[in-house]
Amino acid sequence: MDNFELICPAGTPAALRAAVDAGADAVYLGFRDETNARNFPGLNFTRQDVADAVDYAHARRVEVYIAINTYPQAGNLGPWQKAVDDAARLKVDAVIMADPGLLAYAAKHHPDLRLHLSVQASAANVEAIRLYRDAFGVRRVVLPRVLTVPEIAKLNAEIDIETEVFVFGGLCPMAEGRCSLSSYATGLSPNKQGVCSPANHVRYEQRGGALASTLGGFTINVFGEGEQAGYPTLCKGRFVATGAGEGSGPAYLFEEPTSLNAMDLLPELKAAGVRALKIEGRQRGKAYIAAVVRAYREALETFAAGRPVPHIDLQAMVEGGTQTTGAYTRAWR
Amino acid sequence: MRDPDVRDPDVAPTVFTPDALASRERARRFETGLSRAGLGLMPRLGRRASDVLLARLLRLLADRHPRAFEALREMADARVLIEPVDAPVALLMRVGPDLSLHAVPRGANGVGGGAVGGLGEAGVADAVVRGPYARLLDLLEGRIDGDALFFRRELTISGDTALILALRNTLDGEEEMDLVADAASIAGPLARVLPVLRRNAGPVLDRIEAARRLLPPPLRRGIERVEARLAGVLPGNSPETGA
Repeated sequence: MDNFELICPAGTPAALRAAVDAGADAVYLGFRDETNARNFPGLNFTRQDVADAVDYAHARRVEVYIAINTYPQAGNLGPWQKAVDDAARLKVDAVIMADPGLLAYAAKHHPDLRLHLSVQASAANVEAIRLYRDAFGVRRVVLPRVLTVPEIAKLNAEIDIETEVFVFGGLCPMAEGRCSLSSYATGLSPNKQGVCSPANHVRYEQRGGALASTLGGFTINVFGEGEQAGYPTLCKGRFVATGAGEGSGPAYLFEEPTSLNAMDLLPELKAAGVRALKIEGRQRGKAYIAAVVRAYREALETFAAGRPVPHIDLQAMVEGGTQTTGAYTRAWR
Repeated sequence: MRDPDVRDPDVAPTVFTPDALASRERARRFETGLSRAGLGLMPRLGRRASDVLLARLLRLLADRHPRAFEALREMADARVLIEPVDAPVALLMRVGPDLSLHAVPRGANGVGGGAVGGLGEAGVADAVVRGPYARLLDLLEGRIDGDALFFRRELTISGDTALILALRNTLDGEEEMDLVADAASIAGPLARVLPVLRRNAGPVLDRIEAARRLLPPPLRRGIERVEARLAGVLPGNSPETGA
């Protein structure tokens, strides 16, 4: 049985080495600018860093993918096209993109460059995926985190390109690439600027024993004393609904602070025809990368050997102190 | 990449039994306590002498980690207060072209009440990171994930979040930071003693722990009080009351 490919994040060169050494099959990363969806302060790779990363990874038979997965600004295509040109020049193994114009540019100017469709394209049906394959030669699609496993199986039965799914980490519950919640509060979004809840708009305040997180001046969550915290994103904020009855306190509207962990679903994902498993977290430290990649590598080796998937404790790494299988097993859908 | 836990090249084993792991953890706690005590001595040296020592430490770190320190110098001028809640001293780091590090005494309520700004002669901090000393050391050395600490509420941050993120990402992008060894190397003979301490601290501490369990409780509590003082933990300065 072919094993899954394990696709792992890296926000820094040290994190890349941690991922490679812990058992990644491929590492995905971004340039140090707004061309990728993790454009955070102090994070990401210079061109020289990428060259060094490719050398390090290829010497160990590990692939390197570059995410160029934001949407170019109108009238300012330069940084995005240059990112594609540089990715090809630096001999990365694939680029992960969402914008049709940029995919067309890459297909025309770099026909040998392997194209993967980013989750930011939110391609969740057969017709959309076939369009990207036929128009640009896309070879793999990263599926949005809104599909159940049976839906993924049905999709795989009808398409002839590879699918990659998230199995661990931060859980975006929205239609990715089309979410404007961050933009609503700050004017900046993951889609255009590569930042969901940009750090320069985030403030934390201690209110007695409670921790309040604010975004663009809006209080979006207050964690009680001892309660585990989450990222300051609006989709995981607590709100009071207009017209709610008296005494109704703030409650989670879209999603609670929680992390995806689909390790228990490896047999189902294999049966559904998934080719690659992706770990989220380019913004996380190298200690997270090493721990999570090592755990998943162990799980994949055990699974490939035909033994039951072990329970590996990753509780210390998760947002909000809770783990979920997300939409993969969400019965209400 | 080297196992991040194996800092001393003289330490050969790559497979650890649970006992060996526990022993290494105790050794780590010991060296953490030792470095915290060293930090606690800073105010006694006086401002000028402690500034000279910390400037030496910063130069040494810059030599060993040029990529990170170049990035820190390229940042906009700003000050971050790194405040261990269980130590008598905090560190004020100025990033930007005038990169510097200063020790700032903490009172029972932290530095300047623990808020952004209000550091007296040390200047005003644009951001504050607070947490237990051992966790901050682990974080600075890249042994632990900052987001995980934040989720578990072991770390609090206030002020300019982007500044803290930039500092964290820059330092985490470095490999094999060993601040304890680097700090020891500017403290003369300690540099030569540290590898020996690291090799032997675990087993020795195990024996001390075994012996301690045989002591009558009053004597045991007395020893614990002395240890707390040596480690620089001031009475009434626990995470709860110092927050």
